[in-house]
Amino acid sequence: MRVLLLAALALTSVLPGRPALAQEGHPLKGSWLGTWSGNKTHGNDVVIVMNWDGTSITGVINPGTDNLAIKNASLNPDGWLVHLEADAKDKSGNPITYVIDGKIENLPLANRSIVGTWKTARESGPFTISRQ
Amino acid sequence: MRVPSWRALAAALASTLVLATPAVAHHEVLAKFDDTKPLTLTGVVTLVDWRNPHVHVFMNVRDPRGETANWAVELESPIELRRSGWSADTVKPGDRLAIEGLAARDGSRQAWGRTVTLAATGRRVLFTRNTAPAAPLHPRPTPRWPDGQPRLGPSAGGAQGYWAYPSATALVENSVSVAMDAYGLLRHIADAPRVAPLQPWAQALYIERQRRFLKDDPMFLHCKPPGGPRQFQQPYGVQFVEDRERRRIFVLIGSGNNNYRLIYTDGRGHAGQIGGDDDNPLYYGRSVARWEGETLVADTRGFNEDFWFTNGGLPHTEQLRLIERFSRPDFDTLKYEVTIEDPGAYTRPWSSGWTLRWVADEDMPRHVCQDNRP
Repeated sequence: MRVLLLAALALTSVLPGRPALAQEGHPLKGSWLGTWSGNKTHGNDVVIVMNWDGTSITGVINPGTDNLAIKNASLNPDGWLVHLEADAKDKSGNPITYVIDGKIENLPLANRSIVGTWKTARESGPFTISRQ
Repeated sequence: MRVPSWRALAAALASTLVLATPAVAHHEVLAKFDDTKPLTLTGVVTLVDWRNPHVHVFMNVRDPRGETANWAVELESPIELRRSGWSADTVKPGDRLAIEGLAARDGSRQAWGRTVTLAATGRRVLFTRNTAPAAPLHPRPTPRWPDGQPRLGPSAGGAQGYWAYPSATALVENSVSVAMDAYGLLRHIADAPRVAPLQPWAQALYIERQRRFLKDDPMFLHCKPPGGPRQFQQPYGVQFVEDRERRRIFVLIGSGNNNYRLIYTDGRGHAGQIGGDDDNPLYYGRSVARWEGETLVADTRGFNEDFWFTNGGLPHTEQLRLIERFSRPDFDTLKYEVTIEDPGAYTRPWSSGWTLRWVADEDMPRHVCQDNRP
């Protein structure tokens, strides 16, 4: 699965440049691509798809490969602070919970970013994704 | 007492005739220029760029140190300037001009021209108007089709005309009064929560857009269509073309990318339309309508999130649904009422509305948006 994800990322990098589709609605809605550096369980690269139904933020981390459902997601517009959680399993099959905290940067842009940190009980690192 | 010469009187008269440019520009002027930084430029014209969406006059200006630099002076659209008697030849390279205007926020050598005066003669050459035509003393009756239904477009017999001069140019909830300019820029940012029943994220995004003077507006930056109520807030008007044979109405706009909206009156519903097109929601949504007495009631859904649906930057989501009511109480008045239902961005449904004036005996102006010329 990791190979598939990396292949998709590599393909994306060689495709002709195309601006992100504008998204003037909820700032988290859309597909995001980036890194959670130092992640030995799920690799450095991460894809997140998020949606907003009017009351809650839903989404999936690494759709099609890891399919980690996002839970306890929130956006605090006072500072545009983002909080995401997702349950997963480590390589030994033990349950882990990802906690991601970040901040939206370049809010007005279609390719806005979320920059912050990710952590589990044992690992942590910088987190950066940009809307595609 | 010394009597002033006629030349001095003429110069004084010319200086008093200069008018502030009205707010009908393609973009929020304050997004690019700073109204706290007035400036005066005098120089020699090097180029007149007579194109949409704004005419630019380039001129060499000598600074106090004696160094010459080329400035770009942005003016109104060619439509507005033509309406004022200005043509592409009114100012020519080599003319010496005096400009009064506003400096660019980014400090670049750009200015918004509020007044333009030919230095050699003192003749003011920039004059624009944006006043609605005078209302008839006695309201004329609503034009009707042979079956008695009100006509939303021109009357029979090939008459020309279109709707323009909206009485409001930004969405604000009915019964709420807030001060804002023609682009929906609030005079007091603290009024933002009163404009509409916004969800917290939507309110914060609206305030962010306001704080940035609406400079991120996708209609201006990328020529995105003015879907939703914004279609009826445009400076160059709208036109209804009623295709009664096929039971549909085209709504054309006098600006943008010459795109149009369709309102179906053939009795079709939304079922099958929205469900079959979930991946491709639209700028103008999908409108179905029916006549309720004298009023056309349109139900529109299926909008995308790729545009601002009103001047001023109120957010919306794909859950947006509009109930619009169009009526023509007399020949020269179009009444537009809209109820906004968007549980993705607002805490409850809310309503707004305004009127438009009939501009008789004129074709709707065509003001084509062009990318990369904000």
